Amino acid sequence: MKNLNRVWTVRVSAGSVLGLLACVVLVPYVTLTRGAAPLECLLCAGLGGTAGAATLPFADDGKTLLLRSGIHFMVTSALFLLLMVQFYGWDWAVLLLLEGMLALLYALIWMGRWIGWYVEVMQLRTLLGLDAGPSPLKWRETLPYLPFALLLCLILPLLLRWAEHEIQRGSFLELPVLSGVLYPYVFLPVGGFFSGVSLGKRQGVCPLYPALCVVFVLVFVRMACFFSNMADEMLVLIAVFSTLGGNVLGWMYRRAVPKK
Amino acid sequence: MEVEIKVEPGRLEPKMVILAGEDSEELRRLAEQLSRLPLGPIPVSRGEEKRLLPQREFLRFYTDGKGVSAQTAEETFAVRLRLYELEERLDATRFVRISNGEIINLDRVTAVDLSLSGTICMTLDGAVHAYVSRRYVKKIKETLNLGRRRRHEESE
Repeated sequence: MKNLNRVWTVRVSAGSVLGLLACVVLVPYVTLTRGAAPLECLLCAGLGGTAGAATLPFADDGKTLLLRSGIHFMVTSALFLLLMVQFYGWDWAVLLLLEGMLALLYALIWMGRWIGWYVEVMQLRTLLGLDAGPSPLKWRETLPYLPFALLLCLILPLLLRWAEHEIQRGSFLELPVLSGVLYPYVFLPVGGFFSGVSLGKRQGVCPLYPALCVVFVLVFVRMACFFSNMADEMLVLIAVFSTLGGNVLGWMYRRAVPKK
Repeated sequence: MEVEIKVEPGRLEPKMVILAGEDSEELRRLAEQLSRLPLGPIPVSRGEEKRLLPQREFLRFYTDGKGVSAQTAEETFAVRLRLYELEERLDATRFVRISNGEIINLDRVTAVDLSLSGTICMTLDGAVHAYVSRRYVKKIKETLNLGRRRRHEESE
């Protein structure tokens, strides 16, 4: 216990010193002032301290891990928020965006850790002579659905948009029936939902499938800008809800009706 | 060296007798090593009943606030020994400590699962759940590798 406390103290102290140094060096460039204010120095030292102790909550497991990690996130986000207020004032849109980015960073670190634990569990299973189980986040199980996701969320909408553009070229009235009506209200939700059901029935919940579809839709939205001026952002939500809903429903079906 | 095994029904603890023409340093070392092999049964009790059970019968040993308990596939018994004393007595390639309060029989593990919060759960004989502390994962892997190496050497 004493040793653990010592590790916490050393890490937090080292992080605080580094945070303070970073503040002295970087803050004048960010705020275009001669030096950092005392409050900014204090907040940077605090943030450095939390960064120094960032990996320690992961040494535990179960409830302790969740509690310590949750407290660490709250303290970090509070210090980060106060520091950003010093730089940008109470601009809620900017502050929310920055806090969202911090939360995303936390989620990514969590996912990385979880994958590490999962690999350990796979090793244990192998050493025990048990089935190694699915791959981390079921990425290998999701791979066979990659071509379908690519087709549904990127190639098909691009083709439809391009076809409409070509067909109606020169016409004074452009009616995007294919890419503006049929695709977002029929093809994408139906295709996303049933492919999700199929994957869920075979492999259970695969969180990477909806993420993959969103990535392809985002690529489409970016590419579609070059030859149309339609607002396609809504497609992201349709892709997420249809694939995730279908996947969870397929998984529930798999649980309710086990294979004979 | 000639090795012979004689089965004696009813015997709980194995006994080894070395027959040699004369005493030697190697023989004494061998005898000492054999005497240290953790093959003995474990004394357990339930109420007034006291029994000696072979190690393979146990699923796990755990502390439950009152003392140490031993669980087999059918029953649970009280054990007078502390967990660290049990660790010394048990076969180190089969039994491993998975948390501060639990030792399990690796031969009886039927599933290993991971929760979202990072808790590793081992299922013994398909019914009993034991939770692994992350601090012990490295030791479990070492034990499993040791057991594997021994089996490999035995098969050669």
